[in-house]
Amino acid sequence: MRSNALGWILLAPTLVILFFFGVLPFIYVVFVSFHSWNPFAANPEMVFNGADNFRRIVFDAEFLNSVGVTVMFVFFAVVSELIVGYLLAQAFMKDFPGKAIFRTIHTLPLIMAPIIVGSVWKLMTTPSIGIIPHYLDEWFGITMNIGTSATAAFTTIVIMDVWHWTPLVTLTLIAALVSLPPDPFEQAQIDGANKRQIFWHITLPMIAPAVVATVFIRLMDALRTVDEVWMLTGGGPGSATRFVGVHIFKEVFPKTNYGYGSTISVIVLYLTIVACWLLYVTMLAPRNTKKG
Amino acid sequence: MRKQSPIIGIIFWVIVSFLTLFPIYWLFVISVKPAVQLFSTPDVILSDPYWGNYAKVWGDRLLRSYMLNSVIISTGNAVLCTILGFFACYALSRFNMAGKESMFFWTITNRMAPPAVFLLPLFLLMTQVYAVGDWRLLDTRIGMILVYCTFNLPFAIWTLRPTVEGIPKELDEAAYVDGASPWKVITEVVFPLCRPGLAVTLILTWVFAWNEYLLAATLTNFNARTLTTGLSEYVTTTGTEWGIMATISVFTLIPALIVFGLVQKHIVAGLTFGAVKG
Amino acid sequence: MSFAYKLAGSALAITVAAGAAFADGHEDWWKQAAEPYQGVTLRGVTESSPPSLYIREVLAPQFEELTGIRVDVETTSWDQMFDKAIKDMEAGTGIYDMVYIEQDIIYSYLARDFLTDLTTLLGDNPDLQAPTYSEDNFTTFADYFKDDEGHLYGVPMEAFIKVYLYRKDLFEDADIQAAFKEKTGRDLAPATTHDEYAEIAQFFTDWGKENDMDLWGTTAQAHTGHVASWYEYFESIAPTFGVYNWGIDADNNYAASVENGGEMNSDTAKEALTWWLSMRDIAPPESVQSTWTEVGTTFGAGRAAQGLVYGENAGWIAADDTKSLVVGKVGVAMPPLADGILDEVEGGEGYVGYYDGGAFGLPTTSKQKEAAALFLQYIGQNEVQPDWAVAAPRVTNTATYDDPKVQEMNAELGGYYDMLKDKGYLFAGAPAYPFHAQVREATAPTFYKILTGDLGVSEGLDQMAAEAEAELTNLGYRN
Repeated sequence: MRSNALGWILLAPTLVILFFFGVLPFIYVVFVSFHSWNPFAANPEMVFNGADNFRRIVFDAEFLNSVGVTVMFVFFAVVSELIVGYLLAQAFMKDFPGKAIFRTIHTLPLIMAPIIVGSVWKLMTTPSIGIIPHYLDEWFGITMNIGTSATAAFTTIVIMDVWHWTPLVTLTLIAALVSLPPDPFEQAQIDGANKRQIFWHITLPMIAPAVVATVFIRLMDALRTVDEVWMLTGGGPGSATRFVGVHIFKEVFPKTNYGYGSTISVIVLYLTIVACWLLYVTMLAPRNTKKG
Repeated sequence: MRKQSPIIGIIFWVIVSFLTLFPIYWLFVISVKPAVQLFSTPDVILSDPYWGNYAKVWGDRLLRSYMLNSVIISTGNAVLCTILGFFACYALSRFNMAGKESMFFWTITNRMAPPAVFLLPLFLLMTQVYAVGDWRLLDTRIGMILVYCTFNLPFAIWTLRPTVEGIPKELDEAAYVDGASPWKVITEVVFPLCRPGLAVTLILTWVFAWNEYLLAATLTNFNARTLTTGLSEYVTTTGTEWGIMATISVFTLIPALIVFGLVQKHIVAGLTFGAVKG
Repeated sequence: MSFAYKLAGSALAITVAAGAAFADGHEDWWKQAAEPYQGVTLRGVTESSPPSLYIREVLAPQFEELTGIRVDVETTSWDQMFDKAIKDMEAGTGIYDMVYIEQDIIYSYLARDFLTDLTTLLGDNPDLQAPTYSEDNFTTFADYFKDDEGHLYGVPMEAFIKVYLYRKDLFEDADIQAAFKEKTGRDLAPATTHDEYAEIAQFFTDWGKENDMDLWGTTAQAHTGHVASWYEYFESIAPTFGVYNWGIDADNNYAASVENGGEMNSDTAKEALTWWLSMRDIAPPESVQSTWTEVGTTFGAGRAAQGLVYGENAGWIAADDTKSLVVGKVGVAMPPLADGILDEVEGGEGYVGYYDGGAFGLPTTSKQKEAAALFLQYIGQNEVQPDWAVAAPRVTNTATYDDPKVQEMNAELGGYYDMLKDKGYLFAGAPAYPFHAQVREATAPTFYKILTGDLGVSEGLDQMAAEAEAELTNLGYRN
C-alpha cells in the first residue's frame, strides 16, 4: 500500500472546506452559547454568563416540548417511510408492464424543494378551501382543520414528509434487494420456509446495512426539518408542530436571542450526534472495520 | 414465484402513482389559476387554464438571473462534492490512517447542525474574514458553492464510501505493478468503476443544493440569489402570490426533472450502501 | 380604469416617462448634485410589497436615468428583510445604503443608533438639499420616524390604517335588510359597537348557512402559529376596548400584569379577547390559518361580510378585478368601539386601531451616505407621489390627497383615502418599545395556546403578562 501521506492529501480538501465552513462557525456558536446576547436588550453587548444558558434550558418548557414533538415526528415519519419504502421496493422487484415509468413517477417528489412542498401542502390543506379538507367533508363528512387540531396538523406533516422522502428509501432498498444473491432464498423455499420466516431470517439480515444507512440519513435530515413546517403551520396550532428546527429559528430570527439560541443549537447538535453515533457504532462501524 | 395477474399490479401502481403525483399536479393547477379563483371551492378537474403567471415569470429578468445562479451553484457544488467525496472515500478505503473512522464520522456530523443558528457566524465569516479589500465571499456564487459543501460533502462521502470499498483492491495493486502512478490508478482505474455511485451522488447532491432555501436567502443579496429565494419575494403583506410562486416552482422542477431523467438508470445501481454482494 | 390596468401602466412608465416629473427645470440641480457620485451603486433591502416594488421597478430606474446613480433594491419576505438588515447593521458590514424600517422596529433601531439622522445630514450639507424636498411635505405619520428632538430618521414610503371593511352590496340589499330588521329589530348599518358588530356577524354567518352560500359574518386574522393573530388582538382589538400599548405600562417599570400596574391581563383585556374569539368562531374556517394576507384573500373572495382589514389590502380588494371578486362592493368605516373609547381617544389618550407603514432609512454603516440621501429625497418629493399612490394604496405626503388621480382612486376605494386623511389621527402605530419583537415572541406561544383552546382566556393572559415581565427583566428593561 502507498504511504499514508497520499491518503491525507486526498482527504485534505474535504477537511479544509469543512473546517472553514463547518468547524469555525461551530466554534463561534459554542463561544456565543456561554453569553447572554440580544442586540435589542437594554445592554446589547455580548456578556459572558457562564453556564446560565445551559441551566436555563433544563427548565425551558417550550424547548422541552419541541424536543418531544420532534422525536415523535422523526419516529413516525422514518418508521412509516421504511415500511412503505420497503413494500414498494418489494413490489418493484417483480416485472410488470410500464415498470420504468412507474419507478420514475415514484421518484418525482424527491426533486421538489422543501419550501415548495410546504407551500403546496398548505394550499391543499387550508381549512374549508383546500382540496383535501373540502372533499373529506363533502364525501365522508370528516372535518379536518390543521389550524385547530394538533393531531390533524401533526399527521399532515408526517404524511407530507412520508410523501416527500419515501422515494429515497425505496430507491436505496431496491438497490439492496437487487444485489441479494438468489441461493439462500431458493434453499429456504426448498426447506419449506414461509414468507414471513424468509423475511425475518434471510432478507432483513442481508439488507440490514442498507436499511441502517438509509435510516441514518433520514434521521439526520428529519431532525433538521424547518422549511416545510414553516410554510405549512408555522409551528402551530399552539406548539404542536414547533420542531426544534422551527423553535431555534424563532429564537434567533425574530427574537434575535443569539446567546440562548446558540445554547439550544449546541445542545440539539450534541443530542443528534449522540443518537447518530450510537446508531453508527452499534449497527455500521463493525461492518466497516471488518472490511477495511 | 407464482404468477399474478398483471391487472392487479397495474391497478396498484396506478393508485400509488396517483397519490405520488397529486401534489405535483396540484402545484400545476395553482400555477394556471387566476388569483381570484384561489379561495373558491376547489375543483379537481382543470378547466380553462390561465397562462398569465407563466408569461409573467418568463418575462421577469430577475428570475432569469436567479435561474442561472441556481444552475451554476448547484452544478458547481454537486461536481465539487462528488469529486472531493470520491477522493476522501478512496483515502478512507485504501489507507490505514490513524483515526480515520473518527474522521469519517466527524465529516458526517457537519450535516446534523441545525442551520438557523449557523447563519450568523457564516455571515460574519463571509463578510469579515473571507474578504479581501472590497471583495467578500458573501453574495458570491463561489461562496454559496462552498457553503453548500457543509451539508453535501458529508452526504457524498456517506453514499460513496460503500461504492469505493466495493472495488476490489487487487485492481489497484495490479495497476501499480504495471507501473501506473497513484493519480492514474485513482482516475483511470477506480473512478470509472465507481460510475454508478458517482452518478447517484451527483444527482442527489445536485437536488439538495438546487432546493436549499434558508442559507441562500440569508447569504445572498443581489448577485448570487437563487430561484428558491426568488419564491420568498412573492410572500408579501398584500397577499402571497400563490400563482406566481407555483409557476416558479414548476420552473424549478423542470431542470431537476431533466437531470433526474438523465441518470435515472444509474440511481439504483449506485445506491447500494454496501449491501451484501452476490 | 381598473386597478390592475393602472399598475401595468405605471410599470410601462419606466420606459416612457423616466424623469418626466421634472419638466420644471430642477433636472439640472439633480444632475449637478449627483456629479460626484457617478459610478456609485446604492443598495437597499425591503419587504416585497407593492410600494417597494414600485421603488424597484419605477423610481429607481427613473433616478438612475436622471442622475446616473444606480440603485439596486433587494425585495424579500418580511422576516428575512428584518434579519438581513439587522445582521448588516449589527456587524457594520455596510452592505445596505437603504433599509426598510417598519414603524414597529424603528424604536429598536434608534436604540442601537443604527440609523443616520437625515435632518442633520441635510442641514450640514446644503449642497445635498434638494429644492423639491422638504420634511414639511409629509403627513404626521412621519413623526413616528423622528427622535425626541424632531429629527427625521427615515423617509416615509408606506402608510395605511387597518379599517373596518364591509360589503356594501350586502348591507344595501333590500331582502337582507328586511331579514335583518325582522331578526334584530333594528336597521342594518355598519357597526359602531362590538355588540352591533357581533349581531351583524352572527346574522350573516346564519344567512350564509341558510342560503347555502360561502359567506360568513366576519373574518379574523387568527393563525395559530403565526404572529399575525397576536398583532390583530393587541393592535386592533384590545385598543377598541381601551387596552393600549399591549397593556404594558412603560412609565411604570414596564409592568404588564395587573398585579404590578399593567393591563395585559386586566378584565378589559380578557373581555376583549373573549369577544374576538367569539367572532373568530363564526368566521370562515380558514381564519385559524389566516395571516393578514389570507384575511385579504378571504374578503376578496367574497367569503366575509365584514372584517378588519389592513388598508394596503383594502386597495386591491376594492379595485383589482384580477384578484378580487368584490370590486366596487366594499365600504370603509371606523372600527367598532366600546363605550367612551372615542371620547378618550379624541381627548388624547389611546387610539382606535392600527396605523402602520414604513420608511426608508439610511444605516450609519452605509458607505454612500450622500448619494443615498439624494435618492431618499427623490422618493420623498411631492412630484413622485400621486402615481405611486395609485400603483399601491399609500399616502405619505399631505399634498397627495388633493391630486385628481388620488381623488379618483379614493372614490374607487369607498372613501378610504378620506378616512386616512380625516380620521388617521385616531389611529396609532406600535408602541415606542425597543424590545418589540422580543416580547412578542416571548408571549406568542402562549397566545397560540389560547387560540387552540389549550389555555383559557383568563389563565392564558395571566401567563402572558408574567412571560412579558420575565422577558423584560431578562432583557434588562425591567427591574
